[in-house]
Amino acid sequence: MTLDKPAGDTIPSTRDSAQGGAFAFSPGDAAIPLTGPDGLDKHVRRDLRKQEIAVARQFMGGGMWPYVVAAWGCFAIWLSFFPLAIMGWLNLPLAFVLSCIFATGGYVTSHEAMHSNIARPGSRNYWINEWVGKVSTIPIVFPFSMARLMHLEHHYHCNHPEKDPDYTDEAPNSLMAWYKTWYNRQPGVDGSIHHYKRILAKMGTPEAKTALRDTLKLQLLFMAVLFTMAWSGYAIEAALLWWLPRHIGLSYIRFYLSWAPHHPREGRTGRYENAKIFKSRLGHVMSMGMETHLIHHLYPNIPNHRTKQAYFALKPILAQRGVDVSSL
Amino acid sequence: MELALKKLFYIMPFLFGIGFIAPLIAQTMAYWDIAAPFGMSRIAFGLLIGAPWGLYAVLRGRWL
Repeated sequence: MTLDKPAGDTIPSTRDSAQGGAFAFSPGDAAIPLTGPDGLDKHVRRDLRKQEIAVARQFMGGGMWPYVVAAWGCFAIWLSFFPLAIMGWLNLPLAFVLSCIFATGGYVTSHEAMHSNIARPGSRNYWINEWVGKVSTIPIVFPFSMARLMHLEHHYHCNHPEKDPDYTDEAPNSLMAWYKTWYNRQPGVDGSIHHYKRILAKMGTPEAKTALRDTLKLQLLFMAVLFTMAWSGYAIEAALLWWLPRHIGLSYIRFYLSWAPHHPREGRTGRYENAKIFKSRLGHVMSMGMETHLIHHLYPNIPNHRTKQAYFALKPILAQRGVDVSSL
Repeated sequence: MELALKKLFYIMPFLFGIGFIAPLIAQTMAYWDIAAPFGMSRIAFGLLIGAPWGLYAVLRGRWL
């Protein structure tokens, strides 16, 4: 099964393509000075960018059906845990481990849907893209409408202290970053979903209002399920199937998808510096492909599972652009 | 409606303490066969922990 291929021509990844715009040639451009902050002259930069795009295009699209199967399959299995637990037909420790994996991994499938990588808007299969996104983040109680809006804002304003919604994940070291994943979820702290809610209220667009409404509905549903199950004698089941996996998943996601690939954030807003190439102690899969997150920020249409391959193909070009490629 | 929902979410940690933490404590104690102190029922003990803890989270803005 191959869904609609992502449009290879949609190269620009950011709304304010200040960095990408550096390569646009217009007749009024001055001839001198030619060198940019990376020490390369304008013509070299333009040639490198052309090469970069040509290489990147080879990795865009491809069969995306595994994301669909994973998203819908895992969601169906996770949903089945609830009646099975109530009937006493479930191995609860195993279901807990699987729920943690589903909650965490769901963000990866949802993330592809956020960038419409599963099917493009207007295409016949676009509804599949949307429903992959919608079901994937239910275990972490993070509605797709909010996740998509906030994630795209993160791309538009990556590492901007006020405009990047994920900037609150920044921490001086990994230990503090783990702590912050928990701290930011505290009821009175302006981090994580609280920060997102505030940004959405400030945006005030119809999409933002929908996202806020969806968040409200999903959070109320979450609480209703937890309270009902708990007072019906299934509190441990509710804790192990939804409450704890959600917290573990959110912390893991915040650490590996936000802190690790972007730290240090301060002042790093440029196209080739807003994410880094790093070697994860847990490896590429367990860090959910984040070792090569820079490739995703350069070309969001490259699916997550192909970013590592794309990185090795782009490595010589990235090195010339001043990217630190020493770790991988 | 919006104001009511805002208030509901403001006191949500307190509701969470009563609605989820209290029965979770009681059922965990039952699972490990631990009796509540002072002859209390397990759920009363759970409420004694869950409700003030939730209230603390509302007032302080932190669970710990």
